[in-house]
Parts: sequence; C-alpha cells; structure tokens
Amino acid sequence: MAENKHVHRLSAKESRAIAKENLKITKQYEKLKKRKYVPEEEYRAEMKDEGNILEIEDLHTYFFTDVGVVKAVNSVSFSIPQGATVGVVGESGCGKSVTSLSVMGLVQGPTGQVVGGEIRFKSEVLKKDEKGKYIPIYERDENGELIVESETIDKKTGEKVYRYKQKRDETGGLMFEKEPKVYNLVKTPRSEMSKIRGREIAMIFQEPMTSLNPVFTIGEQLNEVYCLHNPGATTEDAKNRTYEMLNLVGIIPDNVYKRYPHELSGGMRQRVVIAMALMCNPRLIIGDEPTTALDVTIQAQILELLRNIKTKINGSIMLITHDLGVIAEMADYVVVMYAGKVIETGTAMEIFCNPLHPYTIGLQKSKPVVNQNQDRLYSIPGNVPNPIEMPTHCYFKDRCNRACEKCNGEYPGYVQVSPTHKVACYLYEEGVNE
Amino acid sequence: MVKYIVKRLLMCLLILFGVSIIIYFLVLLMPADYVDQKFASQIAQGAMDKAAIQEMKEKYALADKSFGGILNGYVRWLGGVCTGDLGRSFKYDMPVTTVIVENMGISFGISFVALILQFVIAIPLGIKAACNQYGKIDYTVTVLTMMGISLPTFFLAALLVQVFSINLGWFPVNGLVTANLPVDTSSFERFLDELWHLVLPMTTLVILSIGGLMRHTRTNMLEVLNADYIRTARAKGLSERTVVYKHAFKNTMIPIVTMTAGIIPSLFGGAMITETVFGIPGIGKMAYDALKIGDVPFVMGYNMFLAILTVIGTLLSDLMYMLVDPRVKLTK
Repeated sequence: MAENKHVHRLSAKESRAIAKENLKITKQYEKLKKRKYVPEEEYRAEMKDEGNILEIEDLHTYFFTDVGVVKAVNSVSFSIPQGATVGVVGESGCGKSVTSLSVMGLVQGPTGQVVGGEIRFKSEVLKKDEKGKYIPIYERDENGELIVESETIDKKTGEKVYRYKQKRDETGGLMFEKEPKVYNLVKTPRSEMSKIRGREIAMIFQEPMTSLNPVFTIGEQLNEVYCLHNPGATTEDAKNRTYEMLNLVGIIPDNVYKRYPHELSGGMRQRVVIAMALMCNPRLIIGDEPTTALDVTIQAQILELLRNIKTKINGSIMLITHDLGVIAEMADYVVVMYAGKVIETGTAMEIFCNPLHPYTIGLQKSKPVVNQNQDRLYSIPGNVPNPIEMPTHCYFKDRCNRACEKCNGEYPGYVQVSPTHKVACYLYEEGVNE
Repeated sequence: MVKYIVKRLLMCLLILFGVSIIIYFLVLLMPADYVDQKFASQIAQGAMDKAAIQEMKEKYALADKSFGGILNGYVRWLGGVCTGDLGRSFKYDMPVTTVIVENMGISFGISFVALILQFVIAIPLGIKAACNQYGKIDYTVTVLTMMGISLPTFFLAALLVQVFSINLGWFPVNGLVTANLPVDTSSFERFLDELWHLVLPMTTLVILSIGGLMRHTRTNMLEVLNADYIRTARAKGLSERTVVYKHAFKNTMIPIVTMTAGIIPSLFGGAMITETVFGIPGIGKMAYDALKIGDVPFVMGYNMFLAILTVIGTLLSDLMYMLVDPRVKLTK
C-alpha cells in the first residue's frame, strides 16, 4: 500500500506534453526503419563467440506511451549457442516476450521501439550472382557429372537447352548456394529481415486462438511460408511439406488442410502454429510459451518434437515460459528475467541446483513439487514495480527477504559465480558473504 | 440455405406491411394537399367554389381525413398493391410503376458510377491512412474527407456549379441534354453529351460519400493490423505489402462488402437533393416534385420501392457475409 501514495495521476496537460515528446522520438525511429536503401555495412556485425547463433547485447526496448516511457527491456544481454536450448523465465510482464519480439523485429511500432543494443544473428544468406539471381546447387552422379533433368530446344537459336537436376534439402526445397553473414537484427532493414523471418528464425506464438488468419484455410497459410522462402517451389512441393509437417505435429493432414482456423480446437491450432514455424527448418526457433495452451500429454509430445527437430537440423531454441518444469526438461541454459533485466543466467543445472538470486529462489519455491507435504504454495510477496518510474536501486529490493543495507545503493552489477553462472545481486559480491 | 432465404423473405413481407402503414399515414398527415395546391389559383380567382373542390377531393380519395377515412383509403391502396397496381400518379398522370421504371435508369447510372468511383478512391485512401496512422497522409486524408462529409449536398452542389459552370464554364449548369443539339447527332455523341452533363452531379455524390467509406476502411484496417494473425503473417517473413494487401485486406473487406449490399436502395432510389439541384430528371427529382404537391400514390409507391430495396439489401448483405467470411454459416 505504501507504494500507492507516490502514484499521482497525470494531468491532461502533462499527458499531452509526454505524447508530443514521444511522437518526436518515435518519428525518428520510424523514419530510420522506413528508409528504402540501407547500406549493408550498417547492419553487418561480428559475432563475439563463433559458437553462438544469437547474441543479444545491452538490448533496450522501450514503449513510448502517453503516461510515460515503459522500459520493457532494459539492458538485456545473453547469447544462444549453436544447437542449444536457452530457457527464458520470469513472471508476466518482465520483458520475455518483448525480448523475443525484438529479435524478430516485430515490436509494435510506433509506440514500441528498440532504442539501443545489438542483436547479432549468424545468418545463412542465399548467395546471389552478378545478375541478382540465386545460384543453384546441382546434383552430380558418381562421375561428378551433372544430371540432366529435361532438355528443350530453344526456338530462336535451335540449340538444345539442358535443365540440370537441382539438389533438394530435407524440406524438399531446391537448394541454392548460401553464405554465412552476421547481421545486427536491430538495424537490419525490413526487406532483409523478411528473408530471415520464417526461414532462419521462426517464432511460435502463445495465442493459438488468434494467431491464425480467420479467412484463409490452414493449407493456404502453411503453404505460404514454404513458397515464400523456397524460390522455385511449386504448390505441389509446398503441399507435400505441409502434409509432412502436419503429420509431424500429430494432426491428420487431410482433416485440416482445407479447414479454416475456427473449425479447429485450441490444441489443434497451436499445433498448426508450430507446424508453420517449423516449415522451413529454421535454425533458431523462438517459442513464446508454445505449450501453455496445450494439455499435458500434448505438451510432452510437442516438447519432444521441438527437441527432435532441434537435433535434426542442429538448430537452437529460445524457449520463453513461466513453467519451470518445461525449462528443466528442455533447457541447456536458463536466463532469469525480472522487470526488464536479466538477473541471473547459468546452465540449467546451476539454476536449478544452485539458484542464487532471491527471486530465482522464490520462483523455484513457488513451483509445486510432488511428494512434498505442503499446505500452501510459496508466493513471492509484493508486485513488480511500476514500469514507468523504475527505482534506481535493485528492482527486487522491496520484495526481497534478504535485502540488506547495500541494496539501497545503485542497481547491482553482475557477479560471475562460475564461468557460466552470473547473478546480479549484492549478496554474492566478494566480501559480503564472508 | 434455401430455407433460410424463404424464411427471411416471409419476414420481409411482414416488415414491408408495417412500413406501408407508417408511410401511408405519414403522407396523409402532410399539410400539402394535391387538390388544394393544384386548384389554388382557381380558388383565388373564385372560378371554383368549395363544393367543387370537395368533389375533386372525393375523386382523389383525399376528402375524408378522419382516421376511418385514411384507413379506408389505405385498405383500398393495399388491395391495389396486392394485385400489382401501385395506383396512378396525380402529378404525372401515369401508373406509378411506369414513372418509377422509366426514370430509374438515369439515377441508377449516376449512382452506380459514383459508387464505383467512391470505392476506387475511398478504400485505397483508407488503407494508406491506416498504414500511416497519425502521419501526414493520415491527417490530410482524414481532414479532407471529413470536410466532404460535413458539407450539405445543396451547398457543395451550388459551389461546384458556381466554380466549374459559371466561373470556368467547363460544365453545364444543369439538365441532362444540351438544348440545341443538332438532329443528326449520333447516339454515341448523345451519350457523351449526357456524360458531360453528369460530371458535376457525380462529383458531388462522390465527394459526399467518400468520407464515410474511407473512415470505415481506416478503422477496420487499423483494428485488423493490430491483430495477432497479422503479427504471425509478419513473422512468416511476408513483405509488408503482402501483409497489408493480402492478409489484412481480406479481413478488412468483410464489413465493407456487407456494407455495400446496404447501399442498393440508394443506388436505385436516386439522389433526391443532387438531382434536384442539377435538374436531372431522375427518380429522386421526380419524387421530390411529387412530394412537394402531395401526390399520394407516387410518394407511396416511391417509398415502398425504397423499402423493398432496403429489405432486399439487408438480406443480400447477410448472404454476402456468408460468402466472404468463412466463420459465418446461415443455417437457421
């Protein structure tokens, strides 16, 4: 209750002043985003560690609302190693989803803007020749000769034109030469971004009921992704892949292919959404609470599916959830977020067996455990601080049961507990514990 | 489906019956009396006396203005309608149906062209405005179209006439045909001449109606653009163009298409004020003239015509809903 005393309602005048100021700022960002031509140097980057597929560094995503600036993501840094699953946990409103949307470049403008930081992604761009065409990779027989698929006679010159058999990847798409490039997704222009989205980074959204377009059939919506990212793909190719994916997520394709989303149950739709994300074998899958809407048996299947696909294509997963059980089962690394900041990161082992931050400990205590006689589940006292006027001290101080003198100081820096384990808390600074 | 339509049509009959009662009583409650107006000069000169007037009124079934009398007249009128006879217009001295059918064409022509122009202009503007919400384009479009909505028809029409006909002399002031057209003009030239006369009326109609449709499109588009499935579409990697013009557009069109079916009455019913100001002999102007002098059969016939169109329009818009939105099924 004590907090409420400080809350004061904005007058219309103040609100208007804020709105005006916001408009000025957001306009600049929108202008930057809408540029037609962006030189490539501007969004090329270098990975800090070649083993990572995604590196987020000092990411700031703000929402410029009429009541003030909400710092939804406030200096978040973590990385996703190639082939690993990184779980992001935290309570509602802590910035998990906004972080993932920032990676996808889907933060809803003009209110929401990525204002700072870097998101480096190791992309595999389709190579283009001088004419701006993609370079196909052809199949060769034992002697290293190209295999002729068809031959036609050019009507004008009378010469024979050969079409060689092109290689196909696991998704059935024609293969083209690729080259690795590291992009800073924050600055990547829309046109480049749309080649990455869906093909290299795919996202599974959490609202299955509203995530599918009500006026297109499931088949149309799935085929679309495939056709978009596979140059030269026919509808037949797309349909094959769609059937394959629907089977994979446990739906009989014939039952849903020609159906509209409203004719499916929530669980079915969620599976369709997952199938859609996996259409092009993305190298990074972002799951924004992908299993929250599903019942437990399906949940296990879906998680299994994600894991299989991950190993199959050596992809990585960024799994956002507040279900610690899912994290324990899936994740190699865990990032704990609180009020827009990362408060603790480490391997799953470290976070589960040796949680350090009082918030992480609280989170774990509030998880029901079988075989334990408990009358009431633990809940962390208090609420998340007002996102508009964040305090300067540790955001968790007011709810923390181990707060000390030092916590009134500025926001704590990270303490490196082990090579992989980091925590932002004064309790673990040297000298405090002893 | 068929059952649904039959059921709806039967309901329409009931509605039309109610509408006819209301219109009939309202028309007879009007202070304008055909006989009084028509013979006003004779009465003033004393050429006709009260008895003769009364006799005339009885002939036109306008004499008895008591409730019973009106009811009696209504039943007689309804009897005629049931046999397909809408009565004979006092003013035009022809069967009402003939007058309506003969004059509908030109009104339909004007409204139809105006409607198409309206769609072609308003929908893209609405989409553009929605995509640039609170931007320069949005504000400009909104302000201009709102000005269009706010102008009264007669004022805008008069303004256009003043500027383009009188000052600039580009278009004729009113009418449908140039008076001194040579006899040997080909029908195509006649058509062009008519078209030339219709430019200003059509412009008036378009300017007046763009605003509503544009705002409708804009609001719908904004709502759709914030939907989760649009975010999904973007996450698929679709270009902004495809997202807006394929995924969002089809959803935006649902309410607009159904709204279109509701426009049918105005399409055939004529634009009363515009036609009157520009002196175009369409059904709207005919109705206006008839209304002024209390031509009961024609006003009744015209209003019933509009009522029927409206009812059919609503039915059509419901059927359209089923066509464009896979979620809607008309089974009951």
